Amino acid sequence: MNRYRLVHVTEFHYDGPVSESYNEVRLRPRHDDRQSCISFRLTTTPQAPTVAHRDMFENLVHQFNVLGEHRYLKVEAESVVLIHDSPPAPPDTLTLAEFDAMREELREEYFDLVAATNYVPHPDALREFVREAEERSSGMAPGFARAASELVHGRFRYEQGATHVHSSIGDSLETRAGVCQDFAHILLAILRMRGFPAYYVSGYLVPKRAVDAAERSMEEVIGGQASHAWVEVYVAGAGWMALDPTLGAPVSTQHVRLALGRDYGDVAPVRGVYRGHAGQRLSVDVLVRPVLDDEGREHWTETAAGPPQPPALQSGQPQQQ
Amino acid sequence: MTPKPESELPALFSGYDTGGFYDEMFESPGVPRPHYQRLYRQLSYMGPAEFQERREVADLSFLVQGITFTVYSDGRGTERLFPFDLLPRILPRAEWDQIEKGLSQRVIALNLFLQDVYGSQQILKDRKVPRSLVFSCRHFRREMMGLEVPGSIHTHISGIDLVRDSRTGEFMVLEDNVRTPSGVSYVLENRLVTIRALPQAFQQYAVLPVDDYPSHLGRILRSLSPRGGDAVVVLLTPGIYNSAYFEHSFLAQQMGIELVEGRDLVTDAGIVFMKTIHGLKRVDVIYRRVDDDFLDPLAFRPDSELGVPGLMTAFRLGQVAIANAVGNGVADDKAVYAFVPEFIRYYLGQDPILKNVETYVCDRPADCRYVLEHLQEMVVKPVGESGGYGMVIGPSADRATIESLRQRLKSDPRNWIAQPVVALSRVPAFDSATGRFAGRHVDLRPYCLFDGHKVTVAPGGLTRVALQAGSLVVNSSQGGGSKDTWVLRGES
Repeated sequence: MNRYRLVHVTEFHYDGPVSESYNEVRLRPRHDDRQSCISFRLTTTPQAPTVAHRDMFENLVHQFNVLGEHRYLKVEAESVVLIHDSPPAPPDTLTLAEFDAMREELREEYFDLVAATNYVPHPDALREFVREAEERSSGMAPGFARAASELVHGRFRYEQGATHVHSSIGDSLETRAGVCQDFAHILLAILRMRGFPAYYVSGYLVPKRAVDAAERSMEEVIGGQASHAWVEVYVAGAGWMALDPTLGAPVSTQHVRLALGRDYGDVAPVRGVYRGHAGQRLSVDVLVRPVLDDEGREHWTETAAGPPQPPALQSGQPQQQ
Repeated sequence: MTPKPESELPALFSGYDTGGFYDEMFESPGVPRPHYQRLYRQLSYMGPAEFQERREVADLSFLVQGITFTVYSDGRGTERLFPFDLLPRILPRAEWDQIEKGLSQRVIALNLFLQDVYGSQQILKDRKVPRSLVFSCRHFRREMMGLEVPGSIHTHISGIDLVRDSRTGEFMVLEDNVRTPSGVSYVLENRLVTIRALPQAFQQYAVLPVDDYPSHLGRILRSLSPRGGDAVVVLLTPGIYNSAYFEHSFLAQQMGIELVEGRDLVTDAGIVFMKTIHGLKRVDVIYRRVDDDFLDPLAFRPDSELGVPGLMTAFRLGQVAIANAVGNGVADDKAVYAFVPEFIRYYLGQDPILKNVETYVCDRPADCRYVLEHLQEMVVKPVGESGGYGMVIGPSADRATIESLRQRLKSDPRNWIAQPVVALSRVPAFDSATGRFAGRHVDLRPYCLFDGHKVTVAPGGLTRVALQAGSLVVNSSQGGGSKDTWVLRGES
């Protein structure tokens, strides 16, 4: 079990005055059987009242607007979250052949998690990956899911700037490179093409050095920017399995889940529209520290200082790295 | 009456042939149905020149009033007169009562379906309609899930398209329109113009009035106000380039409410305001004629210039009522249409009073195979369009059209349905080239208002007529015209 205090700061600097800015954020950590969100506070500059609702995936969405002219907007989300230990990996009991018999039923039950989306189409170029994952699956359904994740991890290069926030998986398939958002989308496509219902998970990966703050370990973590994305797949009979194709390692108590959806489009941490012709610069910072740990140690570690986004970006959505 | 020899037919009807179709006016050539006898007698005294003159009076009054519509995908200027045929379509009372009952039943079932599908989804759990069909509908709005709408009303205004099948003489439902159906302004205007152009004929009949539609709609809209009392109601239009802009301004004026565009409204922390010269004024109810996609750039298409950012937030918070509700397109999807009879049985425990046209849902592999083999014989429609856009009528399509359709259908079967060609009934329409009446195919779009308890149907509705000889396409966007529709207080 791990406890963290997280501060997620998103700042927009505009070249000129903008107004009538309407925004929605999915920044409150999930509160469910896998993790508990103990406290959450959202503040904005300029100050604005927020209203919240739950979306169809049970994510808590906060909305606010700033009507008057402004050149700067800051959204700060502070949360304390408790990550429960992961359940043991599901046993490899369901064969792919047995899975196939349930496939139609799963499609009907979990349509949204199996169907192609704009970010996650089902291109023929991935059929080879599906076939290869089958070969490495030992004929088992959970084996297929793990093999697919390993394949994506092994065949694609992690490279910031290789793609952008609105990239569909086509961009990565061409360059064989991307960031965690792309890795997650590609894995989703492979799983869904084989009939597995799967979620895109938006969240944080807390670096090891933050977890072991006292040891000042400098271990590098892929996706050094703490904003992260991975996948949860439903393996009938075995339950939900979390897979991190970027990290290539098991999803652990270092993974903090913010929101679930079909793809990035459902869970963008911050998105909005505004009036005005000014361009914008976006920066994202996530601060994390373990809280209330057994020795009472507290140490702030800055894990992410988002680099300026490519100038073409006008959407005001941070890409998940 | 027995059929008369053709030489005895009045001049306007000389050579008139029912062509083997159900003719709304004639049982057989020269033998009008009982409810058309008075009109027939009137017209018998009238020569082509006089009728032509009356027609011109009618056209002129449409022109003077600026009653126009716009055809998209047509280079020839934006606005056009909606062609009007002066000979009314008449429905006897008993037949109308049956239609009204059927429409009421259908609208209530559609509303219950929307309530369910955005609520507990019991009908999906009970497997009466495939979840995949609902969730793959482009107009299914996940943003509506779990959202409670005022009075549980989703379908405040519906336009249900009916056709009479010549084989059986029965009315059937061709499609449902529960998003932003248009055309009711023509119902009201057609009546005024018909009374002016055919006063004697109109006086021969006791016709149920249609003119209280705007006040009834206004009452329903005001009743939705979250604040009660003096509700501020506005009509939200996409603006002057929209095909139905005339109707928007007409209805706003008739109801005495403000006609606004997206830029006239602003939301703040979930409250909607209208910008006025006296400052911001809170808005309680929006009769929107803007499609879901464009309604709120924060919730839907971010590039929309027509909408109001934050409108969905206000709607979700119950601070503003929106009619029709968001997400209704899942109920009038043409593939979902095939399941409406099932909705009626499932939610109401009743048999449908109005039948559906037999429909092949291409999302079902067996249906798709059948359709691909019979394209040439069927009417094939994209599921999410209205106004006849994208529709292909197999028997009159050329080879290239059929082949291109086949490819599109194969690559996205969910997007298509097919129906056998229905032999639509006909009504005489005046052909100015010959100076005589000729049979033309018609449909009927009645307008239904739902206040949460009761469905009120404006008597009659818009009779749309395919003015080209032989054509089955009645949509105004596809060259159709319209007629006044008279529902009689009695049988004739």
